[in-house]
Amino acid sequence: MNAIDPAIHIAAANIRLDGVTKSYGAMTVIPKLDVEFRAGEFTVVLGPSGCGKSTLMQMIAGLERISGGKIVIGDREVQDLEPRERGCAMVFQNYALYPHMTVFDNIAYSLKIAGLSKAERRVRVDIVAKMLGLADHLDRKPGQLSGGQRQRVAIGRAIVREPAVLLFDEPLSNLDAQLRHDTRIELAELHRRIGATTVFVTHDQVEAMTLADRILILNKGEIEQYDTPKAIYHKPASMFVAKFIGSPPMNILPIKSDGSVLRLSDGQPVAKCHLKGEFQLGVRPEDILVDTTGDASAIKAHVRYREDLGSHSILVADLSGTMVRITTPFGSQAPESNVLLLSCPQTKLHLFDTVTGKAIAGAFTATTKDQK
Amino acid sequence: MVENARSINIVANLILIIGIGFIVGPLYLTVTTASHSYEFMLQNGLVWSFGSDFLVNIKRIFTETSIPLQMINSLIVATGNAVATCVLSFLTAYAIVYFRVRWASVVFALILATVILPLDMRFVTTYQVASNVFSPVNAVLDATGLNDLIASVVGAPFHAEWSILNTHVGLVVPLLAHGMGTFLFRQFFLTLPKDLFKAARMDGAGPIRFLVDILLPLSRTTFASLFVLTFLSGWTQYLWPLVASSTAEMQTAVVGLARLVPDEGAVPDYPLIMAGAILVSIVPLTMIALLQRYLVQGLVLSEK
Repeated sequence: MNAIDPAIHIAAANIRLDGVTKSYGAMTVIPKLDVEFRAGEFTVVLGPSGCGKSTLMQMIAGLERISGGKIVIGDREVQDLEPRERGCAMVFQNYALYPHMTVFDNIAYSLKIAGLSKAERRVRVDIVAKMLGLADHLDRKPGQLSGGQRQRVAIGRAIVREPAVLLFDEPLSNLDAQLRHDTRIELAELHRRIGATTVFVTHDQVEAMTLADRILILNKGEIEQYDTPKAIYHKPASMFVAKFIGSPPMNILPIKSDGSVLRLSDGQPVAKCHLKGEFQLGVRPEDILVDTTGDASAIKAHVRYREDLGSHSILVADLSGTMVRITTPFGSQAPESNVLLLSCPQTKLHLFDTVTGKAIAGAFTATTKDQK
Repeated sequence: MVENARSINIVANLILIIGIGFIVGPLYLTVTTASHSYEFMLQNGLVWSFGSDFLVNIKRIFTETSIPLQMINSLIVATGNAVATCVLSFLTAYAIVYFRVRWASVVFALILATVILPLDMRFVTTYQVASNVFSPVNAVLDATGLNDLIASVVGAPFHAEWSILNTHVGLVVPLLAHGMGTFLFRQFFLTLPKDLFKAARMDGAGPIRFLVDILLPLSRTTFASLFVLTFLSGWTQYLWPLVASSTAEMQTAVVGLARLVPDEGAVPDYPLIMAGAILVSIVPLTMIALLQRYLVQGLVLSEK
């Protein structure tokens, strides 16, 4: 046995959802979902409460029946199988440890049901306990453990069966801020070591950005965007994603274009654009630059108040009737007159359709070419 | 108490002392009376001092009355009531809490309704059914006209009879129709983490395994509470055993005690009756002494 990397052998499998639907009576939670979670990847499912993300997870696990479609794990169709036959393991939000069993029995319970001998169970549990730093606590009951330790027992219980798929249902939301940060790093480390296909449900964008290989953003049971954290942040596919990711969120302003220039509602020109019509303009707080050169083409805004956060300051300014947030270096001087001159690089602007909220691709490509 | 004034404490203590006297006084009189002979009692009435005939009276209970046998009946009724209530309530609550049962809330409401419809209220109908368990079936067949059909095919209408009066089963079963236990278990199940069932399913445990491996061990104290409560209630039942048992051999100890009072005008043998009362109280008293903790838990309907 390798002492450094203990013998947890996981054969990661991909998960494919083909036209999966879910409804409770007349209420449709998931209209129709086609998505694939790649083998060995860490996928975070992100969305506001009630978007169907927990339902999605329970359908993969087999705790909820699907109303239509197919779920394929590896090369097996699993939608009609019992949870234990799907090769999934799950970590619950409130851990759901068995309160009357010791840590050892909690971790070993699934092995016991699977019919492993006592000696085999002891070996497997010892490996997992060592891996998670629980070796000294195996005889304790969950009630005698701290929140972080309970969390690790829940993870141990999940990985001891060497599942092809690991499911996490908001597992960090019961921990305090410091512990959540530490556990996040441990989870990333764990995933790197065991490499199971991981689906992690959360509503916390920091967890999503830091842990995910890929983020799936759900809204009302439909996919808003499914991409890498970087792409989600820098190329949001819709206004929903733009506002959901980032703290403070992306500024959204109503904007008009006459076919050559984008203008704010008070007539100030912002950028060149070859499209014509009314749109929503999105720009991240850190992408708005405070202009100190006195450039005549700068956009004027009025400072309302500022929040000094130590590492940086957030200015809240009135820009043609809309409150926008601007991230600036800490201690940067606010102009005496309260009039702020702003500029935004055109590559950092996002244009969204007013009706559908979808991003309009290539809105600025023509103009960027012009500028070059 | 919010205010901690001395005068309030004194008054509170006084009230408690009066309460204790109110309860302990008659008990004391029971013990002193049981220690005198019948003749002494006839001459002196009930006295507050101890006599020397206590063991004689206890012996007379064993030799002259059916109380020992009736105590065994009581034990069967009380234990049967406790065990059956625990099992039924546990299973019912499991179904209501952990499964998506259609009309679950209606079912639960009906179960709760039994709490406000105790045996004493449905006495006559219960007696009718106990005297013939099949009487509801017969009645339905008669009322729907199905019996005429059966009579025309088979030659005679369907009519079945099975009386459970004057049997142990008949003494126990009517006591079981009571929703308190189901309520107790339901409240307890709702305090458990709601993902426990799902976690067990993910670990590969089916509904039965979850019931046996997880829910049963967790419910130990609730079982103990309900067991004590229903055992005591079964032991102290009077009206139903009085009506449902017609022979001394089938009567329970509490009924037997009351029967020690002669029907005609003679002065009852109070020393004997009191000695019997002490004997009959020993079982529930022991039970309370041993399982007091669970009794209190059961009464406050909460866990931890």
